[in-house]
Amino acid sequence: MKVIFNIRRFDGEKDYWQSFAVPVFRGMTLLEGLFYIKENLDGSLAFRASCRMGVCGSCAVKVNGKPVLACETQISSVNSSKLDIEPIDNFRVIKDLVTDFEGFFRKHEAVKPYLIRNDDNYENPVELIQTPKQMKSYYTFSLCIKCGACYSVCPAAATRSDYLGPAAITAAWRFIADSRDEGKEERYEAVCGDNGVWRCHFAAECSEVCPKKVEPAKAVQKMRIRTALHAIKKVIL
Amino acid sequence: MSVADWFRVRGRSLQSISFSLHRLTGLVLFIYLLMHLSYLTSLKLGKEVYESLIATTVSPAFLPFDILLLLATIFHGVNGIRVVLNEFGIGYEARKAMLYAAYLITAILWIIASVAMYNFVVGVR
Amino acid sequence: MRVHHDIVIVGGGLAGLRAAIAAAEKSKKLSIALISKTYPIRCHSVCAEGGTAAVLREGDSFDLHAWDTVKGADFLADQDAVEFFVRESPKEILRLDNWGCPWSRTEDGRIAQRAFGGQSFNRTVFAADRTGFHEVHTLYERTLMYPNIVRYDEYFMTNLVIEDGAARGIIAIELKSGDLVLFEAKAVILATGGAGRLFGFTTYSHQVTGDGMAIAYRCRVPLKDMEFFQFHPTGLVPSGILMTEACRGEGGYLRNKDGERFMERYAPERMELAPRDVVARSMWREIIEGRGIESEYGPYIALDLTHLGEEKIEERLPLIREAAKKFAGIDPVEEPIPVRPVAHYTMGGVHTNMWCETPVKGLYATGEVACISIHGANRLGSNSTAECLVFGRVAGEKAAEYALSTELRHVDDDIYREEEKRIFDEFLGRSGDESPYQIKKELNEVMDSSFWIFRDGNGMKEGFKKILELKERYRNVEIADNTRKFNTDMIYAFEVGFMLDLAEAVAAGAIARTESRGAHYRLDYPERDDENWLKHTLAYYTPDGPKLEYIPVTITKWQPVERKY
Repeated sequence: MKVIFNIRRFDGEKDYWQSFAVPVFRGMTLLEGLFYIKENLDGSLAFRASCRMGVCGSCAVKVNGKPVLACETQISSVNSSKLDIEPIDNFRVIKDLVTDFEGFFRKHEAVKPYLIRNDDNYENPVELIQTPKQMKSYYTFSLCIKCGACYSVCPAAATRSDYLGPAAITAAWRFIADSRDEGKEERYEAVCGDNGVWRCHFAAECSEVCPKKVEPAKAVQKMRIRTALHAIKKVIL
Repeated sequence: MSVADWFRVRGRSLQSISFSLHRLTGLVLFIYLLMHLSYLTSLKLGKEVYESLIATTVSPAFLPFDILLLLATIFHGVNGIRVVLNEFGIGYEARKAMLYAAYLITAILWIIASVAMYNFVVGVR
Repeated sequence: MRVHHDIVIVGGGLAGLRAAIAAAEKSKKLSIALISKTYPIRCHSVCAEGGTAAVLREGDSFDLHAWDTVKGADFLADQDAVEFFVRESPKEILRLDNWGCPWSRTEDGRIAQRAFGGQSFNRTVFAADRTGFHEVHTLYERTLMYPNIVRYDEYFMTNLVIEDGAARGIIAIELKSGDLVLFEAKAVILATGGAGRLFGFTTYSHQVTGDGMAIAYRCRVPLKDMEFFQFHPTGLVPSGILMTEACRGEGGYLRNKDGERFMERYAPERMELAPRDVVARSMWREIIEGRGIESEYGPYIALDLTHLGEEKIEERLPLIREAAKKFAGIDPVEEPIPVRPVAHYTMGGVHTNMWCETPVKGLYATGEVACISIHGANRLGSNSTAECLVFGRVAGEKAAEYALSTELRHVDDDIYREEEKRIFDEFLGRSGDESPYQIKKELNEVMDSSFWIFRDGNGMKEGFKKILELKERYRNVEIADNTRKFNTDMIYAFEVGFMLDLAEAVAAGAIARTESRGAHYRLDYPERDDENWLKHTLAYYTPDGPKLEYIPVTITKWQPVERKY
């Protein structure tokens, strides 16, 4: 059986659609399809791929309008004999399916996504106590693979390119919810600005498309309440 | 993705389609608000002007538009309440149920209001 | 373009990230460049699943961990390095804990440990079955705290600059723009990972093509023990995705087509938790002798987790369940997982001493690209992530010390221009009649047939010939894409070239070693031969193929004995 891969290509100057017929076997993934094209039909096709098991976050592409990880999407599951494959939205396209993640990672950095502790001791670390229950309160949010799927469907990010976006805010929340962390205040400041949590309008599409079920929309809403309370506290005290 | 993509349906879930509809209905209500204000302003030009405007728009010919306006208003209101609740972190887990409920409530209120509107416009004559 | 830093680290995986932090901690004055082919969190280390070994609790001891490691290595490990390694590992676990790693916990909130193959104590610290993923993210996030770590993401290294016997920097292509950048540095740390994609059926990410190893090798830095390649017992059929050893650590069984737990015939004491070489060999024997389960993707062995129950699988092995469902359409709660031994780890690598120093001054190697060697002929599960952490730190500190005591020497313009000419004038967009993809495919076939779990002299010699043939064909390779920006076609061609050189080194070492030790098992020499072969292989690059030399193994406490499990 052959499936048509209709790929939106970009060579640095012009973009165009190009179709490839890919022979499909049972269990074949979208990524294997892209590799088939690269190896047999057109070596110049550019896309990112690494782990091919859904943990590295390299291969998010848009298939028939919806962002997915190419590596863990079975071609048969798309249920169509013609696949429109495009780079994900809200990112600048560099070439074919490869998009520029520079800004995305800068935003992630901006929310201080690391454990902040006052007693940080590099030479002599000590074991910190955290019960499984405490861990559960943030664990889901730590599973983000930074594939960019959430950011690509976010209507707030579509109109404000400086909006931090679901992934970055989720990263901030992951550390705020961690019982070992002592840097909450700094992070509230980082996410409550003009480009922060209040830009979200709860389209909640981020949670719909997240391939790892991280629930970014939930993290953003939790973050809003906390930052609101934080702001009120700051005014009163 | 540009603003135009807010209204793209393909590949998107009802969640973000609702977001788009919310924006769209918001725009409709804004235009209606402007119309409403200009009607009121027309009183300054005299009672007759105002009444002639009312006479043309509160009529069976305009009924379909009124009913559509009702739909926009009710959807915007009900969906707005849903979003406010969700944004305050209430009912995130039940967000899908809340979404369907919002559409259901919108439909019910719309039918009731449409009937009332029909009776008002057609019944007056 | 030309930039300079005090230290240049190539590779953004566990070892590279750890080295960057160590160097940054050493001195705020040092400027550190972290160069990686992918974004650091897209590295292959995120695929590590099972855990990281460390002695943390009463009842365990450094000596016991060291002994397990040495015995697992079939006595080819350097014991001074192993002793250092086991002492440092616990501290790294605690550091990661302090930096935010979500280690799995016991009920009272302390770090939990699980059983692993070849480890005689439950000493494997883990974060569900996403250990590598969480470790990489934790380290990556930690690097963001140091202003003196400068990241260069998506830069592809094409060459090392070595002058007067000392490392002076590296040359890399910035993928986004296609520009060639010369990184000048006082010290260079290689942390580019293994050479896994030599094999076709493998757990490795697509990106793991042994770039650093091959570049160092071409620059006349010797490769050590390349013939030792680990085969992990449980790769998902048909994709080869890793099904962690923790499946068995948590109590999973291996069964043949008769439903028999065949490991009782091969390793009656440790059963499924024998070291990987033993289990992989046993499984392969079952398959060859016709006791595998037939399928459209060839025979396989059943990894049975059904008796563990849904709750335990969800808590301890969630990723395995997700992967089995997504990639094989099987829910391990209800059905056994189809698995087959799969190429998994490069024990060999760039020759270094236990301080990660290569024979070239200012050039360090750490992580899988290096052969320090603590893994000897066979690595124990959960020692690799531990190695990356411990020796990542060592490399970072040693490089920092060296950089603080030397002056930067500028690299001659000619070197940059020559490299530019080599890449953009001679390589990019060249025409020929060989496809790099076809060559790579055939190379995989050779490696999978001639240098797999069971090797023999004749088969390997055939394979070696074929590798040489492929090398010859590679000279006529075609690169279809002649643009500069994000040219993955050209990068692929580079990688295939690297892999061909490495395959040659693997083959030469394997043919020469006429014994069976650890992962290197020969049907024509099935016994270990300590008298002649208790030594490391060093492969030196020459234009006519690898030249082999041998150096002794460091033995401190443990004399080789028969290895039984």
